[in-house]
Amino acid sequence: MLIEYLQGDSFIHRLDVRTKMFGFLGFMILSFIFQDPKYQLLIVFSMGLLAFWIKIPLRKIGKMLVPLIPIIISIILITGFTFTPERFERVSSQAILFYVLPGDRLGATLGGFLMGTTFICRLTSMMIASSVLTLTTSIDDFTQFFHKMKVPAEVSMMLTTAIRFIPTLDKKRRLIIEAQKARGTKFNEKGIVGSIKSYLPIMIPMFINSIMMANSLSMAMLNRGYGLTRTWTTMRELSFETSDYWVITLTVLLVTLAIFVRIKLQIGVL
Amino acid sequence: METVKVLNSDEFAIELKNISYCYPNVEEPCLKNINLTVQKGKFIVLMGATAAGKTTLSLCLNGLIPQLLEGKLTGQVSVAGLDVRKTAVQTLSKVLGLVLQDPETQIFGRTVEEDTAFGPRNFQVPLDEIKQKVNSSLESVRLKGYNQRMTEELSGGEKQRLAIAGVLVMEPEILVLDEPTSELDPIGRSEIYATLNDLRTKKDLTILLVEHSIEELIQKADEVIVLNQGEVAWRGVPIELFRNIPLLSKWGIKPLPVSQIGWNFYEKGWISFAEIPLDIQAAEGMIRALLPKYGLRQGQVLVLGEGLGHTQEQNKDCLLKQENQMSEKKISVQVSELFYQYNSAQPALRGINLTIEAGEFVALIGQNGAGKTTLAKHFNGLLKPTSGEIIVEGMKTLQYDTSELSKTIGYVFQNPDHQIFSTSVAKELEFGLKNAGFSGKEIKERVDQALQYTGLERYRSVHPFSLGKGERQMIAVASILVLKPKLLIIDEPTTGSDWAGVQTMMALIRKLHSAGTTIIMISHDMDLVAQYAKRVIGLKDGEIIIDGTPQAVFSQEQILLDSAIIPPQLCRLSSHLKDILGNETFIDSSEFTGMFESWETTGC
Repeated sequence: MLIEYLQGDSFIHRLDVRTKMFGFLGFMILSFIFQDPKYQLLIVFSMGLLAFWIKIPLRKIGKMLVPLIPIIISIILITGFTFTPERFERVSSQAILFYVLPGDRLGATLGGFLMGTTFICRLTSMMIASSVLTLTTSIDDFTQFFHKMKVPAEVSMMLTTAIRFIPTLDKKRRLIIEAQKARGTKFNEKGIVGSIKSYLPIMIPMFINSIMMANSLSMAMLNRGYGLTRTWTTMRELSFETSDYWVITLTVLLVTLAIFVRIKLQIGVL
Repeated sequence: METVKVLNSDEFAIELKNISYCYPNVEEPCLKNINLTVQKGKFIVLMGATAAGKTTLSLCLNGLIPQLLEGKLTGQVSVAGLDVRKTAVQTLSKVLGLVLQDPETQIFGRTVEEDTAFGPRNFQVPLDEIKQKVNSSLESVRLKGYNQRMTEELSGGEKQRLAIAGVLVMEPEILVLDEPTSELDPIGRSEIYATLNDLRTKKDLTILLVEHSIEELIQKADEVIVLNQGEVAWRGVPIELFRNIPLLSKWGIKPLPVSQIGWNFYEKGWISFAEIPLDIQAAEGMIRALLPKYGLRQGQVLVLGEGLGHTQEQNKDCLLKQENQMSEKKISVQVSELFYQYNSAQPALRGINLTIEAGEFVALIGQNGAGKTTLAKHFNGLLKPTSGEIIVEGMKTLQYDTSELSKTIGYVFQNPDHQIFSTSVAKELEFGLKNAGFSGKEIKERVDQALQYTGLERYRSVHPFSLGKGERQMIAVASILVLKPKLLIIDEPTTGSDWAGVQTMMALIRKLHSAGTTIIMISHDMDLVAQYAKRVIGLKDGEIIIDGTPQAVFSQEQILLDSAIIPPQLCRLSSHLKDILGNETFIDSSEFTGMFESWETTGC
């Protein structure tokens, strides 16, 4: 879902992976220092623009959000009712809208609801931002990044192999399901035991096939010289372009400005 | 062989001295005292029945045995002068490239380029050099310009060639390939062979190829080595082996249909051993030469032949009529205006209309991706039509679940390992019966029956995965047979089996057919299709392009050529002999021998 790479040649595609990671970090800081939903909405909006700019399928992200609606509602409700007035600095946020229980108990604070909205906004912008990141960055770039961060080569090898084999295993899974269906397996048996039992005919061949595949995979890897040395030729050297420096500078400026506004001017708190 | 001994030892690409190997926890050794030398630059084909030790031998050559796989190895293996025990597999891979059976597990990269570069990257070859090597090895396997393609989206043949490229890029002197074509259609197969031929002539590689069928390779290979139960049973030029039919059957190797005819004549003393034909031209020449001498007089042949045909047809008609009178034509499968579309892509099936009567033996043929499996999956409801209708054994597949349909419609898949999950063969067979809701006693009876029917009795309580691929395939069939299906669909029942396995499987299918089961078989093996099926349906791009008896279908060379199907050897021979045979197409070697005097009686 998130690992899909969108082929393209947009500005963001061309940025160095390290720049993108840095930008992502900057975005996280921005998103976390502001509590006021107004600012959060601004962030969501600018992230949305970014996504729109590189023509990311926003509908796809929307689809991902739909199942989260119950969670979104419950987050707003929970924060609304559990955040007591004392937790807010501003008087306006401390206002209690109404009480659920008689005797002035379990009051719903305005600040609580606003806080809930902030959480939702954070969640949304985070999703958009990480989608932008993963959709514009190839796996190769990520492994390069790990390499630069001194993560061992085995880890990136594991990562790429795992990603490479997801479609293969998925195909296996479909074939196994078909083979078992042809023998009359029903997948809708009742109860926990029943449903586990009905998945055994899928899971066991799946494990056996994976083990067999892993076995021949290890042979094939040795066959092609894997493990002779601990390092290998990197296919593409990362290099900063002018645009990378611009983006990094911009990010630094933006984050500094945001911290100044938030700490010195006390803007954006609830 | 004498001259080989004189050669200097560094002219050997491969040298095996007294090799024996025993897999861990197995008593019987898999290889026994193998002594073998292969000269540089030779193209050797390694043949033999399954479990003869072919794969094991190839694993010994690049050091995976004993370095990765444990077990007991004795004797000495040297490859291009390197001692395999003392050289790391990784280092050996620069000298000897091994391409394993399943391309899927030999592809690590997401893109073609990334995958091909895997080997040289491990040796820390500089980037520019890697790019150059990748391009040249992709070119040599005919994948030039595929660099940025996703490996997942390649066809089977392309994947296999990519696997070869991944090994070639390390520039080995010796290339060992373990059944690289077992899961490919004829087109994919000939592409691989053409690639190997290129490599041999352009790069002067030593090639050792493990293979079941050899029709296309007889003229190309320098030598054949036959393994039998872990021992070298025979070695020599391919033509010597393929003329010797009894020898082939002894080692479980499929004979060429034309040489089968030749062998019959050789036994009669009409031709010498060296005259046994190995290709169609030679067979044509032989038949033309022998006809005036021993054949029924030409006029007579024609008359007799035609007469025969007529009487047979008449007989058939009579039989059919009788059957019709006895029981009204029962329809097993009725497909009308079937369209099917996988997600958004081109429709996979386009307007299929088809009626299959109960008791027929139908073969579905066509290139990979023609829609054979897609069509077959509609018969037991695994796929539901996008539009159109299918009625199988009186049930509309749209209204029934696969689990319901599975009680009357059996579907055996190509790979048995996708379904086996029980700890014993008997339990594996019980699974379908339990799903269908049978009771204890009935289950036991049916399992017993099926075990007996498929010859798996002695394996009743054995773990399925301790058995060979052929037996596992049989288990898959048995696990469907317990349900006593009226219609049995079998997808590629003989992939990867040796000749003996193929014959056992086909004998079983024929037995089921004569017991009244309707059979639908998907196969790439045209010899089998011609020999066993009673009706052949050819598909191309999701449409039925041809439908008829094997004789009728395989004489339509142009249509078959368009859909990349190569007719069986004997049918091609028939068309070469059109002036003699008229419009008849023979599909069995006995039909050819029937043209001659001494078979007069058997012919009628």
